[in-house]
Amino acid sequence: MQAYEREAESSANVPPAPVFVARGLTKVYGSGDSQVTALKNVDLDIRQGEFIVLLGPSGSGKSTLLNILGGLDAPTSGSAKWRDHQLTGAGDDELTTYRREHVGFVFQFYNLIPSLSVEENVRLVAQIASDPMDPRQALELVGLSHRARHFPSQLSGGEQQRVAVARAIVKRPDILLCDEPTGALDVDTGRMVLAAIAKVNAQLGTTTIVITHNSAIAGMADRVLRLSGGRIVKEEPNPNRIAADDVQW
Amino acid sequence: MVSVLDIKVLRDIWSMRLQVLSIAMLVAAGVAVFVMSVSNYRALVGAMENHYRNERFADLFAGMTRAPLVIADRLREIDGIGIVEPRVAKPVRIIREDTNLPISGRIISLPADGQPLLNRLHLVQGRWPDPFHPEEVIINAAYAEARAVRMGDPIEVVLNGRLQDFRVVGSALSPEFVFATRSAVPLPDDRNFVVLWAGEDAVASAFDMKGAFNDVAMTIAPGASVQHVLEEVDRLLAPYGGTGAYDRGDQPSHRFLEDELAEQETLSIFMPSVFFGIAAFLLNVVIGRMVEAQRGQIASLKALGFANGTIALHYFKLVTAIALVGSAAGLVLGCWFAVGVVGSYRAFFRFPSLEARFEPWLLVAATLVSIVAANLAAATSVYRIAVLPPAEAMRPATPPALQTFAWLQTMGNRVIPLQYIIAARTTLGRPIRTLFSTIGIALAIPLILFGLYWFDAIDYMIDVSFSRVERGDAFLTFTEPVSTDARYELMALPGVLNAELQRVVPVRLRAGYRTYRTSAIGLDPGSELKIPRDKALQPISVPADGIMLSRQIAGQLDLHVGDRVSIEVLEGTRVVKDVIVRRISDDILGSSVTMDRSALNRVMKEGPVANVAALRIDPAQSELVWSRIKSMPRIEGSSVKALWLSLFSDTIGGMVLIGALILAGFGMLIAIGVVYNSARIALQERAWELAGLRIVGLTRHEVSAVVVSELVAELVVAIPLGLLIGRYLIELIASARASQSFQIPAVIDPSSYVIASVLVIAAAFASFIMIRRRIDALDLVAVLKTRD
Repeated sequence: MQAYEREAESSANVPPAPVFVARGLTKVYGSGDSQVTALKNVDLDIRQGEFIVLLGPSGSGKSTLLNILGGLDAPTSGSAKWRDHQLTGAGDDELTTYRREHVGFVFQFYNLIPSLSVEENVRLVAQIASDPMDPRQALELVGLSHRARHFPSQLSGGEQQRVAVARAIVKRPDILLCDEPTGALDVDTGRMVLAAIAKVNAQLGTTTIVITHNSAIAGMADRVLRLSGGRIVKEEPNPNRIAADDVQW
Repeated sequence: MVSVLDIKVLRDIWSMRLQVLSIAMLVAAGVAVFVMSVSNYRALVGAMENHYRNERFADLFAGMTRAPLVIADRLREIDGIGIVEPRVAKPVRIIREDTNLPISGRIISLPADGQPLLNRLHLVQGRWPDPFHPEEVIINAAYAEARAVRMGDPIEVVLNGRLQDFRVVGSALSPEFVFATRSAVPLPDDRNFVVLWAGEDAVASAFDMKGAFNDVAMTIAPGASVQHVLEEVDRLLAPYGGTGAYDRGDQPSHRFLEDELAEQETLSIFMPSVFFGIAAFLLNVVIGRMVEAQRGQIASLKALGFANGTIALHYFKLVTAIALVGSAAGLVLGCWFAVGVVGSYRAFFRFPSLEARFEPWLLVAATLVSIVAANLAAATSVYRIAVLPPAEAMRPATPPALQTFAWLQTMGNRVIPLQYIIAARTTLGRPIRTLFSTIGIALAIPLILFGLYWFDAIDYMIDVSFSRVERGDAFLTFTEPVSTDARYELMALPGVLNAELQRVVPVRLRAGYRTYRTSAIGLDPGSELKIPRDKALQPISVPADGIMLSRQIAGQLDLHVGDRVSIEVLEGTRVVKDVIVRRISDDILGSSVTMDRSALNRVMKEGPVANVAALRIDPAQSELVWSRIKSMPRIEGSSVKALWLSLFSDTIGGMVLIGALILAGFGMLIAIGVVYNSARIALQERAWELAGLRIVGLTRHEVSAVVVSELVAELVVAIPLGLLIGRYLIELIASARASQSFQIPAVIDPSSYVIASVLVIAAAFASFIMIRRRIDALDLVAVLKTRD
């Protein structure tokens, strides 16, 4: 376990310099009458190892913000930077490299490859990472070593989501982006997935951003950002983080 | 008001427009080939029937040395005979200033009052000869065209050894000479064979035939026994040197025409039907997958309360719309090509009118078949999805039995990149689908081969017939049998490298109740200018006694080596003799009976004589050779191989190849359609999975590799499979039709295999580019929002 604890100490307290810096992020979809503004002039700083929860109703711009930070989408205007990677104005190849080297994703619908086994789904990412951990270690971290040879269709929703977490962390990402990771799960399974995410954040010092509708999850965060109408309307630091097991909904 | 589902039909068609286009293209290609080919064949058959009916083509024919006209009345009395048209018909020779080549011909007498009762002439140009001007003649339109003869032109004819001047006043078509050939030449040679029709007085006096005839055309009364009538005619004409009565089946032009039509039937009915069948199967595969890809939508419609019937109707409309678009394009293309191809037939088939025929039933049938084939596929898929409970159908199709391929897990450990494991599991995990799509790609290959094959077959026929079997550069026919000294006379001509004599006589073979009219060719032992060959192209020596039959004749008469056959010589004293079949040869062009020349001379009860010479000529001195030959009075006609060859490629070649080119072109279109659709649907079904791979950081190239490697795997199996299927189908088609004049061989040149494979690979490559574009354009964000 030593390997992925190397940055653990830095996550305990707020480090000095932000890793994500976004200024004036605006995202407009469509044009003319059908134009929708998803993000309006958002400024944001996120520091190394922070556990951020993005809260807000549907259409508040959470996913758009996450997608821009993850290199999946480009803002209409404004700038976003991760360390020395300029995310705005970058080409597809650059963004692919950024995702490949630095970002782990967990989605509401798992997005596992049905024709690959659990272990292979994880290894798929390990195969393209520069310094991955052993896929079995990643599975151990989410408590699924015993399911390694199963296929996604043979797992429950919670198990599939934990595979998705293992797949996201196997490359030792600098950033873990989770979009409604518990949205499709019941309470107990949801907690297991959250525990896995929290463990990665704590043990690997991975900067973690979680989108949720569920304000109960906010208790796990270092900082909660509330979005509404495409703006960050409230920013709440949380000095008393709770464990995943204590999350109630 | 337009229902929302109908709006969905239109939107689906628009959103899948490229796919719809490729499916419609497939339908169009099948329909076009079918409509074009069937129309063309029907046009030929229709034109022949019209010509025969309008110009009253005779049913029976007979020749004799000389019979008084009163015998014609005796013929009329035979029970079962209808009209009897006695006439004088004799071989002649034409002299032209502009050529040294001897031109042979046939002159036929016309009744004093113009049109004969049978085998009437269809005047193309000019007018009828004036009965008061015996020098006026009508000539066959083919020769008039080939030699650019104008009305009023003089024509010098050697009749009965005497030169006589005639004047051309008309050109005409005759049902007797749709193909004008003289015996011993299997192909019509319009430049060097002419038919002349002149008043009966002129012809009769030139040949000393006043009050007599030597040829007769007859019709047979409905219900009469042909065999009985032929026997009666033979009996009656025997004392007058009758050479044997025969029906249309043995009439040279009709026989050639029938064989030609049989070939056309292969090219026009059988092959396009197979082509259309394959296209329908591919349509089935493609449409089935297209509907499968809409599984979620079908389930949602069901969940919303739509009845199965409504959903089925919805897809019926979608699929029928696609089939209709394709059929319409196919009908237009098919008719357009049909008009063009029929145009190319006119130079070859001499009919008064030959027009493309578009029979409504054909157009309706082709459209209906496409609609039914498309809907069968759609209905099967819709049914399969509709029987599932909506909740189940809304989930993606149950993944295949992946465990079976768990061995890929150990094997794949770190050795094979996982994108290939994904491809392998998808390919192997859905064997039925993989099989269908592989067969689909494979079947595109025969469609291309069907077209290319004709080029190979014709090359092969030319090579075998004209450089391996008939090895002479030119052939001369003598007016009457000559002694073997003629060989030395010919060899002595400067420029003649080799000369060999042949004895060629018209014969009728009789085996039991079966008969066959052909020419017997007597060859000298060790003959080098004509070498009969077997199937493996190995030379066969001519038996010293008995006969060698071509395989087609042996088949028709049901004869085998060792069997006894009666050979009846149809000239001179009409000897009949039993001989033994010693060998079977494989002729591609023409069907022959070959004997040792001395043996044939013995059968004929004549000395060592011959009437045909094959020559090998030094090309540099050919003009000199021909100028010398022109002055030889005993030469009746000639044919030159080089001219034959150009004739062959201009007529048969040109005609078949246009059809073949169109076939190959459509084959290619289908290949592209099938491969594109396979790839497109694979992509459509997997967009979600592939976008997922992109999100976790795989490059576009790595993601493309998943789909591309699946397609490559299918291609690797499909191409050899397709080549095998193509070869098998072509063998089947070639063996289904072996006519008497032609034996189109099932020969496919290796280059055709290569071309067909390369074309399919090219289609695949184009699809790869398309896949790559699609993968580049995958909407990663949209994928996150939906489960599938």
